[in-house]
Amino acid sequence: MATENINFESPRGWRLAGRYMLLAVVTAVVLFPVYTTVIAALKPGDKVLQNPLVPDAFTLDGFSDAWTAGHLDRYLLNSFVVATVITIVQLVTSVVSAYAFAMLDFPGRGVLFVVFLATLLVPFEATLVVNRRTVDSLGWLNSYQGLAVPFLATAFGTFLMRQVFLGMPLDLRDAAAIDGVGHLGFLRHVGIPLVRPTLGALALFSFLGSWNQYLWPNLITTEDDMNTVQSGLRLLRSSALDEPNLLMAATIIAAIPIVVVLLLFQRQLVRGLTAGAVKG
Amino acid sequence: MLALVAAGLLAAACGNGETILNAGNEPATTLPVEAPATLPPVDTLAPGDTLAPGETVPPDDTRPPSTTLPPPTTTTIPLADLAECPVDALDEGSGTVELTLWHGLNAESETALTKLTDAYNASQSEVRVELQNQGNYSQTIDKYVQSSQGSRPDVVIFPEYVVQQTADSDSVIPVAACVEESGYDTSTFQPSTLTAYSTAGVQWGMPLGVSNPVLYYNKLVFEAAGLDPEIPPRSLDEVRQFSQQIVDSGAASYGIAVDSGTDSGGGWFLEQWLANEGELYADNGNGRLAPATRVLYDQPPGVELLTYVQQLITDGLAFNVGDNAGGTDTFFKLADESAPAAMTIGTSAALGTVIAALGGGLIPGLTVDDIGVGAMPGPGPTPTALVGGNALFIVKDKGDEKAAAAWDYITYAVSPEAQSQYVTDTGYAPVRADALDVEPALSKYASDPRFRVAYDQLIASPDDPALQGPILGPQREVRGVTARAVAEIFNGGDVQAALSAAATQANLLIADYAARN
Repeated sequence: MATENINFESPRGWRLAGRYMLLAVVTAVVLFPVYTTVIAALKPGDKVLQNPLVPDAFTLDGFSDAWTAGHLDRYLLNSFVVATVITIVQLVTSVVSAYAFAMLDFPGRGVLFVVFLATLLVPFEATLVVNRRTVDSLGWLNSYQGLAVPFLATAFGTFLMRQVFLGMPLDLRDAAAIDGVGHLGFLRHVGIPLVRPTLGALALFSFLGSWNQYLWPNLITTEDDMNTVQSGLRLLRSSALDEPNLLMAATIIAAIPIVVVLLLFQRQLVRGLTAGAVKG
Repeated sequence: MLALVAAGLLAAACGNGETILNAGNEPATTLPVEAPATLPPVDTLAPGDTLAPGETVPPDDTRPPSTTLPPPTTTTIPLADLAECPVDALDEGSGTVELTLWHGLNAESETALTKLTDAYNASQSEVRVELQNQGNYSQTIDKYVQSSQGSRPDVVIFPEYVVQQTADSDSVIPVAACVEESGYDTSTFQPSTLTAYSTAGVQWGMPLGVSNPVLYYNKLVFEAAGLDPEIPPRSLDEVRQFSQQIVDSGAASYGIAVDSGTDSGGGWFLEQWLANEGELYADNGNGRLAPATRVLYDQPPGVELLTYVQQLITDGLAFNVGDNAGGTDTFFKLADESAPAAMTIGTSAALGTVIAALGGGLIPGLTVDDIGVGAMPGPGPTPTALVGGNALFIVKDKGDEKAAAAWDYITYAVSPEAQSQYVTDTGYAPVRADALDVEPALSKYASDPRFRVAYDQLIASPDDPALQGPILGPQREVRGVTARAVAEIFNGGDVQAALSAAATQANLLIADYAARN
């Protein structure tokens, strides 16, 4: 952060000082749980509840125990596979459907799109039990299919990408058609390169969303080996009830991938939040 | 300053019913077991449902059951009508039979179950049991109920309060069929433990471990308050006296930590306390003579009881930790550095975990020997306890070999030797008396009397069928609404109003369940 000299002579300087004070307080509040988690994770088990806020002992045992006893390696792999599959397929389904809604003229397009959007209004919790029964009867409990398939298409992605395609001049499509390029060819050579920034934001959202899923994996996993990080953490909480340092270490390990992704793709995330806000 | 912050943090964490251990994790998410969409209209309810608050019920319902109750013959189901148990099918099979077992045990209880199962797997080559932890009881029940029969495990461990529901689900082989088929001898079992897993005269599950609530207390605080650390209070009245002395002497900030958790202070303990007074929790002999139609805890005994506990909180003698979702908040209140409580009531099954945690030095300044265990104090003059804990159920339609293998595993798990080890590792009471004649429980019970408290109060409890606790179809859901009422009461709400409202909801649940089954 660049240092800035605050001029206390002027009212503007005082305002600035006040603003930084406020920011400092808010930051402290937000970071406090993170701080206690890190402190607890780095302490040996018998010191965690002793001076819980003071880093007076240091060990990495919590991390190694969490990794081995907590099966975090397996959970992380599962989370990674599931989140990657969901992200890639969501991108494909979103782009293809958004392209159709934005650039193709077919009867019932408007109605269909509204129906599509209406699914956004049905919370996942409402379809949870039915989805679970379906997955069960397909024999997909404890499988990657079961974890991923219900999330392969999303109305949000379609909506987001449609907004971008709407801003794309139809002349581009016409020119491509004259050159004899089909729909998929157009998408590959013209469409996708042009919407790449939004696509990146969507990918980030999809990945974060599926990585952080808790309820669904928890419901359809009954075998330890198929737990994702989030449902695995829950199991670990139960079995390591009396080892707070191990739990905290596991929480940190589970959070690291997300933090890395966020740091790398911060720009896309911000862009994604504002995408579609202004048409064009 | 730091201590202040820590105290605030702990208090805040406790206020949410979350311990520092669970911070950052979602509380257990439970789904409705059966879609409650079809609540019957009010006019089809049983007559008792529309009782106004304070209105009295016919005296025969509120009085302790007399010994002349008719035996529950009217609802007995002949075993021949139920799934068969092919106990000999294992001998005909070839190769190893793989069994999956779902459970929801935590910490030392899980470790002990793993130890037991590993020993079983090593003891023979025909059956291999794989344990699959589903997180907790609630999750285990939810996943079981939602799964198709094919996706269910071969064996499942359920707590006692879902016996009726399991029986009605028609998804298990009653253990009684296996007992009869193999001529298994249950004469040394505690009769009440077998009754706890029976409905309509049929035993559905084989009890694995018996737990009941016991009093955990800090001996150091007792000493500091001038109390004898070897003599815990034996009734709620004594809890009040002791707490007063502890608070007055400044030995601790509170006498006792209470909670409103579903499977503890909000639900389970109320069942225990009413039985301790000789009062019924539900009509029709707690649902044991015929299916219950309504709960009775909104009657004067229940109201008086909870008013008494509420008063403890109001007077600053008890501290309410909230819904205690992780089951650890009350224990941590004993170790709270700034405002500790001296006692709490918790399941005896936690004893192994408490001892392991203290042995590992988790709590500064508190060693394994500083924690005392006493019988559960109740409204009556002497402590009693209902059978809690869990039992093994054999899931049906998995093939004869698996059923036989499951029975083989069960007979191993309840053998005196396995039981002896299991209770030593956990704090559960054994389901059979002769488990205490063999090591290691033989010496454990002699050397550490804390381990035998749960067992002693179990065998001291009267063997009256109607006093064996309620058995309701939607018992878990009823506990849920009851716990919400208790939470309201502990937060200062009107006792009668809260209990009446909860009873109305509970009765709806019961009527709805009856309509569907």
